[in-house]
Amino acid sequence: MSEQFEPNIVAFLCNWCSYAGADLAGTSRTHYPANLKVIRVMCTGRINPLFVLNALQQGADGVLVSGCHPGDCHYMEGNMYARRRFRLMKDLLEYLGVDSRRFHMSWVSASEGGKWKEVVEKVVDEVSEIGPFEQFKREKINW
Amino acid sequence: MVDLETIRKKAKEIVSREDVKHLIGWRKGTFGYRVTPYWVEAPEDAEELVYSPLCNTNLATYLTLAEKLPLPKGQEPDRRKTALLVRGCDSRAVVQLLTERGVDREQVVLLGLPCRGVVDLRKLKDSYPEDNEVADAEWKEDKIVLNVSGEKKEIPREEVLDDHCLVCRYPNPVEADETLGEKVEPWAEESHPGVEELENASFDKRWDFWEKEFERCIRCYACRNACPMCYCEDCILDRLNPTWIYRSNNYSENTAFHIARAFHLVGRCVSCGACERVCPAGIPLGKINQKLVKEVREKYEFEPGTDPEGVPFQASYNPQDQEDFIL
Amino acid sequence: MSEKPRVGVYVCHCGINIAATVNVEEVVEFASRLPGVTVVRNYAYMCSDPGQQLVREDIENENLNRIVVASCSPRMHEITFRRTLQDAGLNPYYLEMANIREHCSWVHPDSEEATPKAKKLVSAAVSKARMLEPLEEKEVDSERTAMVIGGGIAGIQSALDIADAGYQVYLVEKSPSVGGRMAQLDKTFPTLDCSACIMTPKMVDVANHPNIELMTYSEVEEVNGFIGNFEVKVRKKARYVDIDKCNGCGECADNCRVKNRIPNEFDANVGKRSAIYLPFPQAVPAKFTVDPDHCLYLTKGKCGKGPKCQEVCGTGAIDFEQQDEEVEVKVGAIIVATGFDTFDPSNKPEYGYQDYPNVITGLEMERLVAASGPTGGELLIGEGENARKPKKVAFIQCVGSRDASVGNEYCSRVCCMYTAKQAHLIKEKVPDAEVTVYYMDVRAFGKGFEEFYDRVRREGIRYVRGNPSEIFKKDDKLIVKVEDTLTATPREDEADLVVLAVGLEPRQDARGVIDLLRLSQTSDRFFMEAHPKLYPVDTSTDGVFLAGCAQGPKDIPDTVAQAKGAAASAMIPLSRGKVKVEAQTAEVNEATCRGCGFCTEVCPYSAIELKTINWFGHEVNVAEVNEALCKGCGTCSAACLSNSIQPRSFRDSQIMPQIAALGVKS
Repeated sequence: MSEQFEPNIVAFLCNWCSYAGADLAGTSRTHYPANLKVIRVMCTGRINPLFVLNALQQGADGVLVSGCHPGDCHYMEGNMYARRRFRLMKDLLEYLGVDSRRFHMSWVSASEGGKWKEVVEKVVDEVSEIGPFEQFKREKINW
Repeated sequence: MVDLETIRKKAKEIVSREDVKHLIGWRKGTFGYRVTPYWVEAPEDAEELVYSPLCNTNLATYLTLAEKLPLPKGQEPDRRKTALLVRGCDSRAVVQLLTERGVDREQVVLLGLPCRGVVDLRKLKDSYPEDNEVADAEWKEDKIVLNVSGEKKEIPREEVLDDHCLVCRYPNPVEADETLGEKVEPWAEESHPGVEELENASFDKRWDFWEKEFERCIRCYACRNACPMCYCEDCILDRLNPTWIYRSNNYSENTAFHIARAFHLVGRCVSCGACERVCPAGIPLGKINQKLVKEVREKYEFEPGTDPEGVPFQASYNPQDQEDFIL
Repeated sequence: MSEKPRVGVYVCHCGINIAATVNVEEVVEFASRLPGVTVVRNYAYMCSDPGQQLVREDIENENLNRIVVASCSPRMHEITFRRTLQDAGLNPYYLEMANIREHCSWVHPDSEEATPKAKKLVSAAVSKARMLEPLEEKEVDSERTAMVIGGGIAGIQSALDIADAGYQVYLVEKSPSVGGRMAQLDKTFPTLDCSACIMTPKMVDVANHPNIELMTYSEVEEVNGFIGNFEVKVRKKARYVDIDKCNGCGECADNCRVKNRIPNEFDANVGKRSAIYLPFPQAVPAKFTVDPDHCLYLTKGKCGKGPKCQEVCGTGAIDFEQQDEEVEVKVGAIIVATGFDTFDPSNKPEYGYQDYPNVITGLEMERLVAASGPTGGELLIGEGENARKPKKVAFIQCVGSRDASVGNEYCSRVCCMYTAKQAHLIKEKVPDAEVTVYYMDVRAFGKGFEEFYDRVRREGIRYVRGNPSEIFKKDDKLIVKVEDTLTATPREDEADLVVLAVGLEPRQDARGVIDLLRLSQTSDRFFMEAHPKLYPVDTSTDGVFLAGCAQGPKDIPDTVAQAKGAAASAMIPLSRGKVKVEAQTAEVNEATCRGCGFCTEVCPYSAIELKTINWFGHEVNVAEVNEALCKGCGTCSAACLSNSIQPRSFRDSQIMPQIAALGVKS
């Protein structure tokens, strides 16, 4: 856990709320750490919890899933299903010994550019504290 | 409990029906404590059925494993029913399959049997090694009576019963066309075996534990095959395009395999323990699945396999679901 | 995809918006080494015409079949660049954008941080681009007719607008006449227009309009299909009166054996009618109807020696053999204008609504002052000899609104004004009456409202700020027990008549409409609009619109405005004659689908159904997606345990390469 450790964080954002909120943070020229990289999906309901597993295996040190507040989902209920699924995936990962600070979920609406910055900073801070993810990282085999 | 003759007689009756193809039950295995699943095709075959604490296979698995081979043109599929001996956990498995349309209620005949738990062979063999003679066992109140080569031994239940059975709350069939024998009083309230210990450990200790376990996994997929809820013809954990999990045998892929499988069982696992029993490497799979069973029960008040008309857990949500973990 | 991907990457400087913090040359150099990339270019403004021209030329000259534009957010220019591809003859869905502006250059001022991140984002975009597939934006034909459910002012206005525009409209109303709640009103605030006078011309229009088929005393039974192609079953209930023969003379009702013994719903059950009835004098159509729940002949099989109505009917219009009729129509759009019910004050027993006959609701009061009502507009309380005009009238505001204890936390919006109006009308009819309004807040927000409220107070109507706790009887008088909060004085005021200004609630039978059309409710139980600010007349079901109080409490001008809005929206598919269907819909792999139905259950649009197919001789169930209903959210995909259902452009095979690209530690 050196001070120079820069975590690699993969984030899944829903198009209508969180991605727009992150865009707003950009338009407002807020500054936040560059460790987090975004994959755009249409709805958090799309995000298969196994993506979190896949991301950790493939080199992410932390994962963030962010979507619309309950009741605001552009597709009505996608985020409700996501909420349930990710609660259980988080429980499962933690039970197996994956630090709870590696996986986060947030509700960021299209008007919450400020909140987006806070979420990113919090996630990056927490993952930095733990160090790189080595537990079941996939090893790249050089044939 | 229930008398073996009654079971055999009933099975004979059911298999004699024209609309029934076969009945799946158990018969004596080849040696020691082995009991093997048995397909009763003709009424006489019913004589070989056994029912004892050694019957540790969940027969509901076979409902979905029946292969649907392509038929020559013009040939009608065999629409006869499959009969099944079910106890508590396997009847719950059948009910869960009903809610997710894995089986058609019209296609199965369920013969319900009460159960007082099956034996964990590892625990049994520790104290009572098996030999070539085929052994027999029966329930007797709070003991298991083991009969090896005519010698009877009475063993306290708690010593040899499978961990899942020790805390079973559904010893009687929840769904059956007919139930034989007398109902058994449930003997457990709450509690999920072995989960609390890990819950109270630190992240590092937890991973230490699991890393050692998953290293032993040989990816034989016996757990998946024994599980009644795993019946996708093309399991995504095997698939190559896209490849979710590589087929290589290392702790990274093994861990991912088990996490993914446990996650797919959320709200579906009926705690029968078959996965743990068949694992050749002795991985305590129960500890993972039961943790999720506990979470689902406590947080979402849902128990799989109890309501044939219910909406599957993975296809539902509650507007009041907790979101304390969400930023 | 049999052809090899040939990816073109275009890195935009966006002036200095990107170039100031992201080292564009480095990104270009990095991109050129990515597998599958044929061409990499950079330009100052990719969205400009010369920028787009670069793309068009390369598609032609370099045979590119995938395009990655690394620039601003796709929410900004995805549509722009899709068009660029289309102009160049490449399927517009072969585009992927990397957001290196809003998510990178604008938020990371340090080039040492921004540039590596930009490279990663481009790498992820290229990984996805390689896996993209061509998609088609399909269009289906649309019926050029509409249906309006509900014949109140909202339904009537919508129907008239659509019909005037030249389209056929079916207006379905459950009760025997159109008019709804507005017909029950006497005068409307704040102009004191006579409600019936301004409404009846519209009611007559609706009956006579060549483009409107009016189906009164009818109910919608089933709705299938999707926007542009709804199949609706309507049940036309039997009136037991042949409307072609009935001339509305009224002899039947006059001679009915249970004449004036049945509570008249139109009069809020204050007035009475016969078993064969016209709901109100200006009813449209002006045809009589037999009430099957109270008619002696229909309930007991015998009416004296023979039904009296049939005896006296001059045209022989009464026909007890009549049956319900079921019709099926195809429409392109549906407007739901089913209106509201008022709060039942029995749920607030402290007000004594069930106990005292002189505690009435606002709607009952409306009928008492109306000229067509049971007192002929004389505002009489009491029966027979004791009928008299009230001298002391108390109004209680917010009954059943702003009240969590009865489950209605919302404000019903119209009660402050209708109370002021009714108070004024009382003063008009009984000039020396003492009228007091007990209020919590007075909401006079609309055009002319505040002025009306002032006027009403100048007429001597007293406003006391306090929410009464109880109404009880002392000797012969009703007592209103209240604390005047502005002076902090408890009072017990006498009243002859107490009017409870009941709030608006969703209709009791709203559940039926919800199930019919797959509507949702907001927390106040009114029907849910697609977006509270930007789509107040749409629902989440394409082609189904809301108008009037079915969506939430509102007054007549707001209702009419919304009805016109709903009509305009409904006319969009009707006028185009076609509806566009989302291209990025879900697709089922029937080979791996196990027919478990999870996707069917979770789809918010009910766009997925299970169907039985023949799989080499066996009957198996697999999921099937209705592409017209699917919005491409992908919730089905995450629910699928075998990952058999995938949303196009967001498949697992398109997302996972992005994860792999982002996971690489640089």
